[in-house]
Amino acid sequence: MDNTGLPLPGANIVVIGTSTGTISDFDGNYTITVDQDPPFSIRISYTGFESKTIAITSTNQTVDVTLAEGSVLDEVVISASRTPERIFESPVTVERFGLKEIKNTASADFYDGLENLKGVDINTNSLTFKSINTRGFATFANTRFMQLVDGMDNSAPTLNFPLGNLLGMTETDILSVELLPGASSALYGANAFNGILFMRSKSPFDNAGISAYFKGGITSQEAAGDNEYKDYGIRMAYKFSEKFAAKVNFAYLQGTDWAANDASGINGRGFIDGSSTRENDPNYNGVNIYGDIASSSLGAVAASPTFLANLPNPGLADLLPLNQSVSRTGYAEADLTNYDAKSIKADWGLYFRPWENDFEIQYVGKIGSGSTIYQGSNRYSINNFFLQQHKIEIKNDNFFVRGYVTADNAGDSYDMTFTGLNMNRQWKSDEQWFGEYAGQFITSTLGGANANEAHTAARASADTGRLIPGTPEFQSAFDRVTSDPDVLTGSRLRSESKIYHGDANYNFSHLTDFADIQVGGSFRQYVLNSFGSVYTDKDGPIDYSELGVYTQIQKKFLEDDRLKVTASIRYDKSELFDAFFSPRLSVGYNIGDDKNHNVRASFQTGFRNPDTQALYIGLNAGRVILLGSASDNPERENRAFDVSPQGQAFVGGASSINFSGSNAYNNSFTASSVRAFGASRNPGDLEIANPSLVVPEQVSSYEVGYRGKVEGFIIDASAYLNQYQDFISTVDVVSTFYGDAALTQTIPGTPIPVAVAAIANNDFQAYRAYTNTDADVNSFGAAIGVSTKVLGGFDLSANYTYAKLDFDREANPDFQTNFNTPEHKVKASFGKTEVLKNLGFNLAWRWSDTYIWESSFVDGIVPSFHVFDAQINYTVESLKSTFKLGAANLLNDEYFTAAGTGFIGAQYYVSWTINNL
Amino acid sequence: MKTIKYIGLCFLSLAFVACETDDEIDTGMTTLPALTAGSADFSTYVAVGASFTAGVSDGGLFLASQENSFPNTIAKAFANIGGGEFLQPLVNDNTGNITVGGTPVGRYRLVFGGGPVPLDVFLSSQGFPVPPITTEAGISIGSDFNNFGIPGARSFDLTTPGYAGASPYYARIASAPTATVLQDAVAQNPTFFTLSEIGGNDVLGYATTGGDGSNPITDQGTFAMALNTLVDGLTENGAKGAITNVPSIPSLPFFTTVPNNALALDAGTAASLTGFFQAVTGIFAQGLILQGVPPNDALALASQYAITFNEGPNRFLIDVAPSASNPLGFRQMTEDELLLLTINQSALAQGYGSVVLTPEVLQVLGILQAGGTPTAEQAGLVLAAVSGIDDGDALDASELEEIANAAQGYNSLIASIATNKGLAFVDLKSILEDASNGIEFDAFIPNTDLVFGGLVSLDGVHLTARGYALMANGFLEAIDTTYGSNFKASGSLAKADDFPVFFSPTLQ
Repeated sequence: MDNTGLPLPGANIVVIGTSTGTISDFDGNYTITVDQDPPFSIRISYTGFESKTIAITSTNQTVDVTLAEGSVLDEVVISASRTPERIFESPVTVERFGLKEIKNTASADFYDGLENLKGVDINTNSLTFKSINTRGFATFANTRFMQLVDGMDNSAPTLNFPLGNLLGMTETDILSVELLPGASSALYGANAFNGILFMRSKSPFDNAGISAYFKGGITSQEAAGDNEYKDYGIRMAYKFSEKFAAKVNFAYLQGTDWAANDASGINGRGFIDGSSTRENDPNYNGVNIYGDIASSSLGAVAASPTFLANLPNPGLADLLPLNQSVSRTGYAEADLTNYDAKSIKADWGLYFRPWENDFEIQYVGKIGSGSTIYQGSNRYSINNFFLQQHKIEIKNDNFFVRGYVTADNAGDSYDMTFTGLNMNRQWKSDEQWFGEYAGQFITSTLGGANANEAHTAARASADTGRLIPGTPEFQSAFDRVTSDPDVLTGSRLRSESKIYHGDANYNFSHLTDFADIQVGGSFRQYVLNSFGSVYTDKDGPIDYSELGVYTQIQKKFLEDDRLKVTASIRYDKSELFDAFFSPRLSVGYNIGDDKNHNVRASFQTGFRNPDTQALYIGLNAGRVILLGSASDNPERENRAFDVSPQGQAFVGGASSINFSGSNAYNNSFTASSVRAFGASRNPGDLEIANPSLVVPEQVSSYEVGYRGKVEGFIIDASAYLNQYQDFISTVDVVSTFYGDAALTQTIPGTPIPVAVAAIANNDFQAYRAYTNTDADVNSFGAAIGVSTKVLGGFDLSANYTYAKLDFDREANPDFQTNFNTPEHKVKASFGKTEVLKNLGFNLAWRWSDTYIWESSFVDGIVPSFHVFDAQINYTVESLKSTFKLGAANLLNDEYFTAAGTGFIGAQYYVSWTINNL
Repeated sequence: MKTIKYIGLCFLSLAFVACETDDEIDTGMTTLPALTAGSADFSTYVAVGASFTAGVSDGGLFLASQENSFPNTIAKAFANIGGGEFLQPLVNDNTGNITVGGTPVGRYRLVFGGGPVPLDVFLSSQGFPVPPITTEAGISIGSDFNNFGIPGARSFDLTTPGYAGASPYYARIASAPTATVLQDAVAQNPTFFTLSEIGGNDVLGYATTGGDGSNPITDQGTFAMALNTLVDGLTENGAKGAITNVPSIPSLPFFTTVPNNALALDAGTAASLTGFFQAVTGIFAQGLILQGVPPNDALALASQYAITFNEGPNRFLIDVAPSASNPLGFRQMTEDELLLLTINQSALAQGYGSVVLTPEVLQVLGILQAGGTPTAEQAGLVLAAVSGIDDGDALDASELEEIANAAQGYNSLIASIATNKGLAFVDLKSILEDASNGIEFDAFIPNTDLVFGGLVSLDGVHLTARGYALMANGFLEAIDTTYGSNFKASGSLAKADDFPVFFSPTLQ
């Protein structure tokens, strides 16, 4: 029986030193008959409990054994080897978040609670969209991380990365959550590169009945104020017979998002610059102000014939600060979104066991909808998006075959940056605005204003007629823009993409004695269909597919199976790239008489096909065009650009040309060198970029670890070194509309290269081009977690995570690695499940070091922060209910985990969970 | 054991809190070094000079222009590194004018009214009242100032006792009627000084009067003595300082704005003017022959007046002193000769600089064209119709050469004194020359064109506030070079954005 007196059916009882053993029956009783005379010992073990060794001193002895609940190390995980095993013996680092952790977490929900695990960061983008980061290199688009819910990858097809728990699980349906940091491509394929999160739900055969939770509370943030939020979920499962069971889950969350109101400017390097404000910087580009990305140099305005024609004397143009760029006045994010945060998710499953055994046929359907904010290259207000998944799976204990489809629909989502930009164009064209600005600047200068005053007057004059938020005119323009998918005039995001995925696995361990062998494979087809709004699929959906097969062999050696060796290899072939083999080898060794210490070492390789964005994106983000580089993609990214009057001679006199993204790859300068040239005016500073087309990225990961129990401490430590090859990255390049980047073409009769003239005339386009860096990108890190019991039964645990990027940023100024991970993190928690009868509490504390956040939206410093979460819970057994009073960020010290997002305030809540004890 | 446990956990939690991240990343933001003074002591700064130092702009000295004087801008930079208060002898208003004994002695400042217009004229034309001139030279305001820029002062004026009697601006601040500007400046015990545009007025007066002789160029000996006296006096107590050379005066828009080829002609007028001067040549040759000059010599001498005019722009005619080689005393201007900004431009449009074609003159021309012979009286009418530009409205080649020679002499002396005395040397001449085609000043690319160039004020000689800021930066950079300070590197230079180009007519 367990320590609460409940019987433990199926416990293992063996006589030590023999192969004699038995299992306890449903009531926990057992009988074991031994040919041996006492004294001898038996060992009773049960998954999740600490094993016990009992000395048998007489014949016919009755031994009642109470097993103490085991430590975390005794919990069983299945993800690390695709087969159940104790964490203690897992060949690689693995974290588990089970029912007890869900009950005890002080975070507002279980997904947030993952943040307290060692080695895990959660980047918070929205109340409803959070992104897990393990081992670094993560933006909110963490394409190096994978999330599986009952075997289904729940990334959104359009985006190619998981949307937090928006298409996830209802809290009361969770059986377990496991997290594997590090590469596991060998078993899970291309995207399982820096980590994988497994969520498994409860089977209606094993867990029938109705369970539900109700949470309510407030979110408190300086920018958005105090707002109510509520979160309800219900699980209904029914076992009709031993042959058939079904379940339905539904969850609904509604609240107000963290408002993002960072008014700091962004400098030319894309970095947050708090010293730039709308008042002091005519070319201000506010972090959470949109529309001010429309910028023009006054020199370009002064060169415009239309503008000069309006001047009484062309010499007046000399009074303009010709090297000064000015930006239009933007709209604050709060004017462009209502910050509704909503998540509606439902899933249902039919489970059929025709032979009443482990053979099962499942159909599972899931949908997710709601409103959230996504921060990618811009900030997006995601409204009424709709994600759905449908899976058919056939499995028994030894195999599974499953196929599923994931489809998304962006609903009424829109890009807030482009909303601001095109809202402005609704009431005045950019050309008119800049012309009026320059005109008033000159007028004010003539009237005696200094340049600061002239800029202020010029802005006020050009802003005449500006739509004012809150007015009906503003609202109708807003509605027009956000329903228009053309980036030149609107901001609506359209996408209806799909992924078809098939998986199969067979575990031969029941057939072979010498080792446990598994084989499996997967196939995936993407159908990208964004109507040209994200991908270059204006002319129709883009299809491509990936295929992989793998095998794993696991064998235990030495006495008591102390040494466990796991080897696996995976073969992947994408339609677009050469095939890849990714092997993994790991050894684990148990030390000590009680096998209380385990050391492990592994070497694994991972590889990652470029994600859909790296392949097929063609998105005008305002400052730059994001450009994927599947071989046929750059030429499909083709747009019309205006050419300056001075430049028209070089393009056959046309005032506008069609210019394709191919130029980014075969005739471009690095953006940093163009910046340097801008300062020095020395053409020698220009460097040819011409990045190569993107190919798969590889990682070699070395990891060592230790788990063990020492003097009442449970220790889990690991260290890793990741070496990346062909690291997929973006490089900022500038392509001129005319002139070659090698600078061999010169303006006739002068030594001036044509391309230099193009830069001077502003006749160029910046691209953020996907490519691979040949620079060395390495990262290494370590994590140690220690837990113990203190003061008579209180759980105290602490962990420390170290992560370091080893990359020469200075030598590669145009590459963004997006490591985005603090070097040091410390987390601690203190609590007790039952401090008094039925009363438990937990306190969690996290500290994160300062780090630099890099992303295509903005770069900035994330200052170090401390967060306290706390909860106290009370169980009422008669109601089968647990009540929890909790606070995430108890002290309401606002912090943020990524530049450009809303600050995270406090979340105070009460919850009532029924039937999920 | 328990204790060790806690210590262990605490250590784990806290040991790393103290760690600092030392990530190096290009944030696009540069941290500038802190300002350092180098070997100079900026605690008491005194500026000595003339109108540039005083802050004259738009043809006047007024409150707003003084506020933007380059010494005041330099003093603001000095204030960040030990510089003390910088007191200027402010005038009382923004009229730009001053009275002596209640009588205005100058002009109102110029304002922009499509072009340079005196403030009083502009305001009257708009129906606004003209503000009174409230600064009186006779009212002493004490002598303890930091800015001894005396508008109009030539090199030797600054060392001449009793100059207060000649300068209304010095009269206000002279410590005694017989004091010299230098004495009063030295009395402030400067630790640092600027000596600017010494030599400027020594040629400027000559140039702005078109070299008509009313305002002669200071000879090199007088200049050398004055300059040596000034530098010796100011460095007497060990003060350090900076000195400028003299800019190229004829390059100022006062001399370059009105083109010497603005005689725009259509084909018919060009032909009739050419015919006119053929007539002049003929009449003159005939006159010479009548006086007994051999016909060949007469024709040779007269042929210089057979000026050909073409359709389009043509250079004006200029009066010169009649001589044996040019008995009529006029010729066409050469390419490099200059017209002054103050020339009567409406007169130019009506024949000043060419020929005033009255009906009577045209009648004589008709006679000539018909092959007739005009009377002596009629011939005199034609010769008198030639209206060359007066000496006082132009700088001709010889005058330009005089100016250039004088300035070159001044400048070589200034450069050698700067070197000998270890002074920071500000090459104002080069700065303004570089600026003639546009010079980068923060986001601006101003040039030295009149009005819209941004650097030279409406009077065509003095700088705008933004021009003076550029000049102040020239000083600060030279001080960096000589004394090891880092005004430039630390971002302490004046910002173009903070300075206007024009001053509003409504400034009170």
